[in-house]
Amino acid sequence: MFIKRIFTWWNGATFGALLTIAQRGRYVGEDDFGSKYYEAKTIRDGDAGRRRRWVIYKGYAEPSKVPAEWHGWLHHTFVEPPTVAPLKVRAFETEHLPNLTGTRFAWRPRGSLTRGGHRPAATGDYEAWKPE
Amino acid sequence: MPIAKVNGVEIEFEPGMTVLQVAELAGEEIPRFCYHERLSIAGNCRMCLVEVKPGPPKPQASCALPAADKQEIFTNTPMVKKAREGVMEFLLINHPLDCPICDQGGECDLQDEAMGYGRDDSRYVENKRAVEEKFMGPLIKTTMTRCIQCTRCVRFATEIAGVSDLGLIGRGEDAEITTYLEQAVASELSGNLADICPVGALTHKPWAFNYRPWELKKTESVDVMDALGSAIRVDARGPEVMRILPRVNEAINEEWLADKSRYAVDGLMRQRLDRPYVRVGGKLVEATWAQAFAAVAGKIKATAPDRIGVIAGDLSAAEEMKAALDLFTALGVKSIDCRQDGSALHPKWGRESYLFNSTIQGIEDADAIMLIGTNPRIEAPLVNARIRKRWIRGDVLVGVVGEQADLTFPYTYLGAGVDSLKRFVDHGPIQKEKPIFILGAGAFARPDGAAILAMAAEAAGSMGLVKDGWNGFNVLHTAASRVGGLDMGFVPAEGGKTALQMVEKGGADVLFLLGADEIDLGQTDAFVIYMGSHGDAGAHRADVVLPGAAYTEKPGLYVNTEGRTQMAERAIFPKGEAKEDWTILRALSDELGARLPYDTIEQLRDKLITDHPTFGQIDYAPGHASAAAFDLMAVGEKGETTDAPFVSPVKDFYLTNPIARASRTMAECSSLHAGASKMAAE
Ligand code: SF4
Ligand code: FES
Repeated sequence: MFIKRIFTWWNGATFGALLTIAQRGRYVGEDDFGSKYYEAKTIRDGDAGRRRRWVIYKGYAEPSKVPAEWHGWLHHTFVEPPTVAPLKVRAFETEHLPNLTGTRFAWRPRGSLTRGGHRPAATGDYEAWKPE
Repeated sequence: MPIAKVNGVEIEFEPGMTVLQVAELAGEEIPRFCYHERLSIAGNCRMCLVEVKPGPPKPQASCALPAADKQEIFTNTPMVKKAREGVMEFLLINHPLDCPICDQGGECDLQDEAMGYGRDDSRYVENKRAVEEKFMGPLIKTTMTRCIQCTRCVRFATEIAGVSDLGLIGRGEDAEITTYLEQAVASELSGNLADICPVGALTHKPWAFNYRPWELKKTESVDVMDALGSAIRVDARGPEVMRILPRVNEAINEEWLADKSRYAVDGLMRQRLDRPYVRVGGKLVEATWAQAFAAVAGKIKATAPDRIGVIAGDLSAAEEMKAALDLFTALGVKSIDCRQDGSALHPKWGRESYLFNSTIQGIEDADAIMLIGTNPRIEAPLVNARIRKRWIRGDVLVGVVGEQADLTFPYTYLGAGVDSLKRFVDHGPIQKEKPIFILGAGAFARPDGAAILAMAAEAAGSMGLVKDGWNGFNVLHTAASRVGGLDMGFVPAEGGKTALQMVEKGGADVLFLLGADEIDLGQTDAFVIYMGSHGDAGAHRADVVLPGAAYTEKPGLYVNTEGRTQMAERAIFPKGEAKEDWTILRALSDELGARLPYDTIEQLRDKLITDHPTFGQIDYAPGHASAAAFDLMAVGEKGETTDAPFVSPVKDFYLTNPIARASRTMAECSSLHAGASKMAAE
């Protein structure tokens, strides 16, 4: 586990990131998936004139796990974090779902071999002869 | 020769040429819509305007203006450009702006010329005129609003196709192209209408909205639907042949193509044999190649060679026939035949005895034509078109012995059968320079065919058809594979049986069919192995089915009725597990322990050409080259004849082979045609 933390960046944040965030960051909040969000206390050169914002994922580092309200804040679209100014949740909105590509639940088109291989007719298909 | 100046460059030309032709000769391209090299000149689109000196100081339609000696022709002056721009603007007043949904888009003359002469905007606010759609049958789709009244279609129908179904009615804004009675165009060449229409008014109905011309892969190939071997271009997208268009080949099809050759393409996607089948317990079940080969090899090994029969069908390429011939001859099989129609033609009487010796182009030189037991209109529509072309020029005798069919030109009817032919046996030389016989399968594909062949040859001899520099003894085949088969000797060896004898009850114990579907398999009790591309009569009866490739899916040599060897190319790959036919035979030869000595198609062709040199002469038709060595008296076998009339073996033009029978378009044409002829009979 420890070895993995040293040599990979996708099993949680790297030590460098943790160090920087601990030094410069201020805790802002946490989302439904348990990922924690931080904002820099100061603006330094190279920060494009705004406070840097960070996320530390809980578990596997996967950007599509960031829900919409935090995504907006993280990318400086919203000034206030959702803890201060929560987004209005409308009736038609569904739960945030991370990208499922590469998982067992990934989308497979009809016609994919893992879904039976039956696809609708397309141009270039031929009709095979069948006896009787 | 007269000399004219085109844009200041002097050029010599033949007297009688038009200004447009002279300009073309000088390399100047003249835009045109109504002018077509092979049609009469109408001169009604005015797109070909040029300036000529001496002459009135106004632009002149170059296509209809005879060129004169010392004339100065200008094709690029500001006046010419302005005049053409004016014509283009007039044409576009009423032309819809529907290129995005028009099938002609991308290959439209109007689009192309508009690039050079079109304005970038319109000065008209009036409504465009609209013209009602016309019904022209299952092959031609009309969008008459797009028509620019060039009348190419009318001229094609009356001049080349010989049907008066199309016409232009009305004047000015009310002018319309119509079929008068909302009937299908009753011609086997109707597809060419869509080709010559410069805009999208006439397009191909079966292919409507299916492709754009630029997304197709073009492969130049050879047609196999009749024995002419017309030059075609196979346009494919991915694994599907989308369309087939003619290529120019002056010697065979000029630039036309028969409807079957063109529209049977949807048959290539239906009824396909895509995996081997083996009959188990009375039912055909799917098998692997290994199982199928085991079944075939077991059966062939267990059967005495003289109980094995091999029959080649109508669409076989020379390669697979050669492979089959080599393989089965090595096994000692004698009953080998490529004449599934039971014709009497045989290579032992010389190559000239089964070729179209005058060549198809030679029809244009002929001055007396006798059709014997053939209806070229349905057996080879383009030969019929040539005869019609010759007839239009006048001063030609056309006689028919056989069916009294509508051939699109008048002829002298000489009788129905053998008796009428017999009259010519001692007719004596006729007072014509270049007389020809065209002998059809109706005459020689019958039990007394050899005797009739002898009789026809005798008549030809007596009438002086074969002389120095001319050989007028012509055989018109109906199958693309036949001449190739005869050339390589794909006929029964000494003591072997003919195709018809093989399929009799007890005629053979094992029958190997190379795509032979037109032979009646009702009687035979043999173990039938069918190798072919389509599930048709042969596959239904078969005990083992070996899936092969259709003609668009394999490279192959085909010899046309003139004896012209032509090379067809592969446009797409065979379907499913199917293989190129000769490779199947090569693999089978391994199983049978009689390995064929070639691994690539080049090696196979090498062997073919070494054994039969005529296959090496690509695109060469012997014509009258060997007329001196041709002994007419040796052709055929004298014998008893019956007085049954000659009937063409082609009952239905649209359904002559497994590909056409699998095609929906052809089925529709056939039923429409049957209905129409029934109506005409009533
Ligand atoms: S339909 Fe086509 S070929 Fe016929 S007159 Fe109109 S534009 Fe010309
Ligand atoms: S091409 Fe000359 S008038 Fe049409």
